[in-house]
Amino acid sequence: MQQIRQEAAVQNARQLIEKLNEHCFDRCIPKPSTSLSKGEESCFSACMEKYMSAWNTVSRSYVARLQKEGQAQGGL
Amino acid sequence: MDSVNPSAGNIDLSKLNDKDKQELQQFVVNESQKARIQGNIHNLTDMCFKKCITSKISAGKLDKYEEPCMQNCVERFMDANHLVMRQLEQMRTA
Repeated sequence: MQQIRQEAAVQNARQLIEKLNEHCFDRCIPKPSTSLSKGEESCFSACMEKYMSAWNTVSRSYVARLQKEGQAQGGL
Repeated sequence: MDSVNPSAGNIDLSKLNDKDKQELQQFVVNESQKARIQGNIHNLTDMCFKKCITSKISAGKLDKYEEPCMQNCVERFMDANHLVMRQLEQMRTA
């Protein structure tokens, strides 16, 4: 069971990295050149942090909403 | 994902006692719910990031417009979801 939990966590992290890379590549590297510039690199690290903050915000809002709806349903 | 634990591969589920069966079932229910919720969070982040983070990315923190935008995005998506369900219900009973 521990193994299943761990694999779920790995899958979750992989999913986050995949999406993060997708968005940040799109935003920070519109025209890929022969190497990453300093500007692109700093954009990327800011973007990574931003995407993770966004993920946490969504996670909090979504879970709070689910809990609220769960309570409303339980109260009926 | 091919690395299946050899000891876990040949458990005969029918040999479990009732208590273990119930525990296992609860575990599966819990874990799949968790996985579904996490999947939804990924999709929502994906969608809302596109909508809310439109200005140039210079800082790592969400700014004072982006944070509430993300929250509203989640809330309105849920509202929209409920709206669809209600409309479908109406169409079904009409």
